Amino acid sequence: MQHTKALTITPELTFPKVGFLTSEQWIVGSHVLTGLMALLIGIFLGPFQVFRRAPALKWAIPVFSYYYQALTVHGVMNALFFTTFFIVGFSYFTVMRSLKRNMWSTKLVWAAYVLMLVGLLLVVYALVTNQANVLYTFYPSLIAHPAFYLGLVLLVVGTWLVTANLFLTYMLWRKENPQEHLPLAVFATLTNFVLWCVASFGVAIEVLFMLLPLSLGLISHTDPQAGRALFWFFGHPLVYFWLLPAYTSWYAMLPKQANSRIFSDPLARVAFILLMIFSIPVGVHHMFTDPGVSAVMKGIQTVFTFVVAIPSLLTAFNVGAMLERAGRNRGAKGPFDWMWKQDWRNPVIAAQISAMILFITGGISGIMNASLTLNIALHNTSWIPAHFHQTLGGAVTLTFMGICYWLIPMIRGRGLYSANVALWQVHTWSIGMMIFGYTYGAAGLLGVPRRTDLGAAPYINELAVPYLNASVIGGVLLLISGILFFVNIFGTLFFSKAPLTEEAPIDTYVESKSPLWMEKWGLWLSIVAILCVIAWVPVFLEVFDFTNGFQTPGYNPNGGIYKP
Amino acid sequence: MHIDRLERYWIIAVGVVLGAFGAAIVASVVVFGVRLPSPVGRIDPAKIKESEFATPGLTQDGDHTYTLRVVAKMWKFDVGSKEPQPTIKIPAGSRLKIIATSLDVTHGFYVEQHDVNVMLLPGQISQVEVTFNKPGVFHIICHEYCGPGHQAMVAAIEVNEGN
Ligand code: HEM
Ligand SMILES: [Cu+2]
Ligand SMILES: [Cu+2]
Repeated sequence: MQHTKALTITPELTFPKVGFLTSEQWIVGSHVLTGLMALLIGIFLGPFQVFRRAPALKWAIPVFSYYYQALTVHGVMNALFFTTFFIVGFSYFTVMRSLKRNMWSTKLVWAAYVLMLVGLLLVVYALVTNQANVLYTFYPSLIAHPAFYLGLVLLVVGTWLVTANLFLTYMLWRKENPQEHLPLAVFATLTNFVLWCVASFGVAIEVLFMLLPLSLGLISHTDPQAGRALFWFFGHPLVYFWLLPAYTSWYAMLPKQANSRIFSDPLARVAFILLMIFSIPVGVHHMFTDPGVSAVMKGIQTVFTFVVAIPSLLTAFNVGAMLERAGRNRGAKGPFDWMWKQDWRNPVIAAQISAMILFITGGISGIMNASLTLNIALHNTSWIPAHFHQTLGGAVTLTFMGICYWLIPMIRGRGLYSANVALWQVHTWSIGMMIFGYTYGAAGLLGVPRRTDLGAAPYINELAVPYLNASVIGGVLLLISGILFFVNIFGTLFFSKAPLTEEAPIDTYVESKSPLWMEKWGLWLSIVAILCVIAWVPVFLEVFDFTNGFQTPGYNPNGGIYKP
Repeated sequence: MHIDRLERYWIIAVGVVLGAFGAAIVASVVVFGVRLPSPVGRIDPAKIKESEFATPGLTQDGDHTYTLRVVAKMWKFDVGSKEPQPTIKIPAGSRLKIIATSLDVTHGFYVEQHDVNVMLLPGQISQVEVTFNKPGVFHIICHEYCGPGHQAMVAAIEVNEGN
């Protein structure tokens, strides 16, 4: 076949425009752009939340009286839909390009896409009509309109089809190439979807057996503590589902972009295996202050949380060594000058290195959150959004933006609209997030709660006022940055005249001989199962009330008992 | 599988640092006596009126020792006070045992400048003990979203000088 051969020998600059490969452009493009549309809805509410919570500015936005509706939109669109659509599109791209073949079934690709898209529309409907102000964690006994839960179910079922498709594609390739080494990017993608699938059972059970039936009026009661346990069985691996594609880009794509080489391919794979396994038995670290979980189980899951920090610290070394090599290639001689002797003029590289810098504070604050007793000082204060805007809003989102700066041009077959705008975007984003992180972190330590419309609160925390006011600077920078990002995206899609220059940074071969035992998926799943028995079964035995069942009625978020 | 020498040192350093953090956590529990919320019992939210929570509020158990029973509901803390901002008053140096639950949805219970940070869930009883040494007014803040009145869900503990 002509087109496949062309792809193998010379790295194509753009998506080949023939045969089934045309659909490659559409497959990746539709998912990534749908994700960016969700981001467009969600992202711009963020700065107004900052303004509304700052004493100096709260009066400036009196119309913003839908705080919790907006906050639900912000969390759901950014953290659930933007991430999932983007990651699915990016994963399709990675797997198809690296294995040099089409997906196992293109029909299945589109079936999954339609499911997820209908899910998105249902959730948007419930949110816009003010019937699902339950925030992106939708804890019972607050109950939303059934469309909200149904939409989430469709999103998750869609990702199960995606996982099946990815694995079947890989298994076909493996059958035809029994000895070949699996490209690292594909290996990482597979680990990510394994952990996602395992995790999603928690939320699937919560939604299908507790929330959706209550929302439809089929049952009348629920159990908030059990709901939280099921949610966080899913919720922690969820954050790794966001993070692993960013790691994939740092490990497997940034080396090509920065003209370097991966430092250790086998240890990268070990890191992904550890992340896949140990992201599961740790979710209780989101429930340290819950009354229904024993201190013993909290302690056990703290230990596992420290274990899951190890692969990220391995990544810091591995990626750091790769960047040192890149800096040396650019003439760095001293012990540290390689850090700034990077190609900062290239927005794809600048975005990813800035993302890593944000991840340093994000990771440290995360270890603090996980430190059992220290958590009492931090839980549900504004320290927490400070933390996850360094990790999710910083490291993950900025890396995804960096990916967009080469992927969107490829999808469109044109150059990036403006590299300068992209550079300004990257720097305003990282400085904005740092200011946001510092001010919100400090305010949180002083006792400012998260998830609260402070602009309408009857009390004021005098100590925290300067920090909340200073956070406005971060909010303004992030607002500007968000606008610059979408200017570049729409500019590239519709107005760019530049020719495409960047090629796909995809590895199709592996130099280092990583052992084949790393692909023993059954073994990894068995270990996950054993860890679940140790870390989660006792928790579920504690939280479920086996004698009385569910005793708490559902409530409408706007007040009163929920009526379907 | 080959592991570079420097990388091996790095792995050892990571192990040592995480081990030190773990030791600090153990010390906070064993040496400094920090306690996390742990199960003390369940309660059927429909039967709160017939339980120890029938009359929320402060009771004195002894010299400088008190028990505070709290029922959280959309969107106030019932601490047995009728003031617009429900307030309880205790003398400095008091040891307070807080026993709380929720009538309807998930709420939070956070006391400014003290190690009190616990979720209040319908169906569960939460219990925390804390000593108030410094005089002042410390807000009790609901720090979990519970509906459109959430930001107004606040009470206070007034700690007075002397006895
Ligand atoms: C323009 C940049 C952004 C700003 C200024 C911003 C600001 C904020 C603020 C102030 C909050 C806390 C509100 C509160 O607790 O009352 C928040 C919550 C949140 N943000 Fe952002 N944000 C931004 C971008 C993002 C991005 C890119 C993501 C994810 C991809 C994200 C995900 C979240 C999530 C998941 C929450 C938690 C919502 C909840 O507590 O239910 N944000 N954001
Ligand atoms: Cu977590
Ligand atoms: Cu509340």
